[in-house]
Amino acid sequence: MKQRSNSGAPAPAAGGNANVGVSPLKVVGHPTPRIDAEERVTGRAKYTNDVQLPGMLYAKVLRSPHPHANIKSIDVSKAKAMPGVKAVLTNENCKVVWGAGSVAGGQQYSDEVKKNTKQRRYAFNNPVRFVGEPVVAIAAVNRHLAEEALQQVVVDYEILPHVIDQEDALKPDAPKIWPEGNLCLNNRNEAAPLAQKRGNVEQALASSSHVFEDRFSTSFVHNAQMEPRSCVALWEGDKLTVYTPTGGIANCRHDIARDLGMADEKVRVICQYMGGNFGNKNQNQDADLITAMLAKEAGAPVKLELSRRDDFLGVHGRWPTIHYYKVAASDDGKLQAIQLRGYSSMGGYRKNSGSMAGIELYDVANVDSSVSPVYTNKTVSGNFRGPEYPQGFFGIQSMMDDVAYKMKMDPVEFGMKNMIRTARENVPFSNYTLDECIKRGAEIFDWKSRWRPVPGSDKGPIKKGAGFTYMAFRSGVGSSSAVVQVDAKGKYTLFVGVTDVGAGAKTTMGLIAAEALGVPLSQVEVVWGDTDKCPYSVGESGSRTTIMTGYAAIQAAEDLKKQIAEKGMPTGSNILVASATPQPRGGAARNAFGAHFVEAEVDVELGRVRITKYVAVHDCGRIMNPLTAASQIHGAAIQGIGMALHEQLLYDNRNGQPLTAGYYYDRIPTHRDAVPVEVTFIENDDGQGPWGAKSMGESGIILSPGAIGNAIFNATGKRMKDLPITRDKILGALA
Amino acid sequence: MKKRKNKEKPDRLTRSEHELSRRAFIETTGAAIAVATALPSLVEGQTPAAPPPAPAVTPDPSVPRTTIRVTVNGTQHRVEVEDRWTLVELLRDRLGLTGTKIGCDRGECGACTVLMDDKPVYSCSQLAVWADGKSITTVEGLAKNGTLSPLQAAFVAHDAPQCGFCTSGQLMAATALLASNPHPTAEQARDAMYGNLCRCANYNRYVEAVVAAGSAGNRATAGGAR
Repeated sequence: MKQRSNSGAPAPAAGGNANVGVSPLKVVGHPTPRIDAEERVTGRAKYTNDVQLPGMLYAKVLRSPHPHANIKSIDVSKAKAMPGVKAVLTNENCKVVWGAGSVAGGQQYSDEVKKNTKQRRYAFNNPVRFVGEPVVAIAAVNRHLAEEALQQVVVDYEILPHVIDQEDALKPDAPKIWPEGNLCLNNRNEAAPLAQKRGNVEQALASSSHVFEDRFSTSFVHNAQMEPRSCVALWEGDKLTVYTPTGGIANCRHDIARDLGMADEKVRVICQYMGGNFGNKNQNQDADLITAMLAKEAGAPVKLELSRRDDFLGVHGRWPTIHYYKVAASDDGKLQAIQLRGYSSMGGYRKNSGSMAGIELYDVANVDSSVSPVYTNKTVSGNFRGPEYPQGFFGIQSMMDDVAYKMKMDPVEFGMKNMIRTARENVPFSNYTLDECIKRGAEIFDWKSRWRPVPGSDKGPIKKGAGFTYMAFRSGVGSSSAVVQVDAKGKYTLFVGVTDVGAGAKTTMGLIAAEALGVPLSQVEVVWGDTDKCPYSVGESGSRTTIMTGYAAIQAAEDLKKQIAEKGMPTGSNILVASATPQPRGGAARNAFGAHFVEAEVDVELGRVRITKYVAVHDCGRIMNPLTAASQIHGAAIQGIGMALHEQLLYDNRNGQPLTAGYYYDRIPTHRDAVPVEVTFIENDDGQGPWGAKSMGESGIILSPGAIGNAIFNATGKRMKDLPITRDKILGALA
Repeated sequence: MKKRKNKEKPDRLTRSEHELSRRAFIETTGAAIAVATALPSLVEGQTPAAPPPAPAVTPDPSVPRTTIRVTVNGTQHRVEVEDRWTLVELLRDRLGLTGTKIGCDRGECGACTVLMDDKPVYSCSQLAVWADGKSITTVEGLAKNGTLSPLQAAFVAHDAPQCGFCTSGQLMAATALLASNPHPTAEQARDAMYGNLCRCANYNRYVEAVVAAGSAGNRATAGGAR
């Protein structure tokens, strides 16, 4: 096991890693600038909207101004008559079903589910179920004309009653968003909460000497990636090429082909660079379908551009949650039972599960958890970096922090007394470092001196306090593919279907292949981001590209080395090619671990919060590239500060109108909100994945909101139960 | 930065640029993938090939238009623009300089930051006609003869871009800062780039890179100690 601190910018050229414990490798594990960094700093990196085709039309989408309405009629005659308008789509002439847009707990990839669901989502729907839902799409010779044409469209809406809050939506008299009711159907068309039960919670609650209950909530936060969604579609005969920002070109292609009734090989998806992902983009989007259908209708390539407001309302963000906990503990502070009643707002369609993580962190015999995904007339919720984790962890770890204080225990001691040490059913983890992450973090942070035994005890209006959270996060191995070839000149080419969304997958794949081949990185070219050139990859979601596609790259490289040993290097124009689609097993009890420690300073007169120290300790297995790995944790932790303190897609419940759909009001973190994040990696190799690499990309954001909330409690003595913890809430709690 | 030898470029793209076939376009894009990924230039200091020229958007003859003279990255253009075009539309769609990005198109995010007469401006919030007689520098104008500017090199070394979409804007804001304050502190760097959002939140890396670029200059002026 080794530890590596990486708080400042490492000097890449300096090298010299102290490899202790994990056996050092030649290429992997050294700070390495991205192989495409130069493209990114010179403007040469081509993003979707940079694609410009001859004769290309521009498209815009008219979106519903109402949270819930029947469309009685759409008059597009004036728009169609405008010279330069080439195609118009509405729910009347476009009946394409968007399979990935709805239904059933992340089952959107299943053709069976798409066929059988009662709650189908089309590219254009009637009724419309949220403000921002597509109603009309127009392609014209330039973007200004497309906008003007939209203004000529007349839509006659019958406005229906709406509901915005997920608890209100479950009341008997609530407006029904779907005929089957507002509790989301699952993939078997059953309206059922996500349930998890063991032991006897009722009995434990009745017999325990200490029982606590409380309510927490989190808000809708948008992915808000810098690149607003756009798409370019081109038909050549029956072959469709789609340039689109997707984290998974292979899944996106399959989704587009299925939704349009085409064979996979007739669709080509290209995404080289992507201006941020942050979740739920390992599939197709309605924008892809709309653009493709407009291009078909117009007989010309089409570029669809979403405005920032369109992107905020028309795409997706993190599902907001309401959590009611009951917790029982014995006199010595050992947990006896956890009960959760949770409600997740999914918007007008159930794009993802709506579940809540966190209970699995505790070693407790009695659990009763029931989480209801609920339809509301809000923008659709989806996966955002660690889909069910930051919300769930904020809730449960705020609750447990509170229990610790009430039991007169140090929250770190309480955590270490009650946290899991094996996976479910006493299956051991492939390795376990949670104790070490917490101990190491407490030491670096100096918990004993920064934590106030009496919350809010600082004198004066500026009060400091400390909080902590810990995590275990899925890190299972799985199948993906890679192809590698070598030519007579000794040049190696790796073909992987990854997209570079910002985490540095392309560079990581290059490093892994170079290591496995035993050559320098400069001898490996990476071909990526094009379904016509690259084999299947799982896609940039679930923090699994390094583990799965990286492992496939190693297997392909091993095969190629074997071929070279048998046949010798190729000569002339010959090449040697190897491919691999490994099916590794045994990933069920494989987890990444981590702990965050935060010191917050609260001005109780102004309600202002400043983070004055931030320590993040992570076990992500072996680190492939310490430079980009530290960037991931830095960035995610600061993104978590936004979720904790600022961000919220706020609605006016009376009229169902979104109030903060844009950067200015949504308040994502800026340069002024960034704080130094001291990142330490505890490295190890459990013998799985690429030399022991585990999940990384989502880890950093999971712990930040809970740790910040706990630090604010320690500083002020007030438990902040609703995200975001804005100034008004702090001042209200202190009043 | 201001004085450059300007060479006049006609407001007409060559025939071959106009008549690129779809197939040829896709093929050249495909080739660009290979070039881009092959790039061992960081290691070996090679100059990468230029990207393929994109077909340009031409003004709609049915709407009000104005011919302006504008210098972009040292090259003077006499170009007809629609009066409704923003500067970023001129740069991206007409001149093919797609390094400048549109993040919000309403002056909130800074992704479209360029230098206008050496001052940083949001090019989404400037009309193209307002650029008449001005000198514009975009991200494409920072590297000289294939050599990255010290700031760009610092961005690479410090892993400043994650997804890279806000990077051009951060670079332009920081370039303006370094021109007026060659050795900024971290606080000064944060202030200068405050108007440039980064959803990857790689803010600390950006600041480290700007401070390092300033310090490198410091060493150079102190006698090239390296």
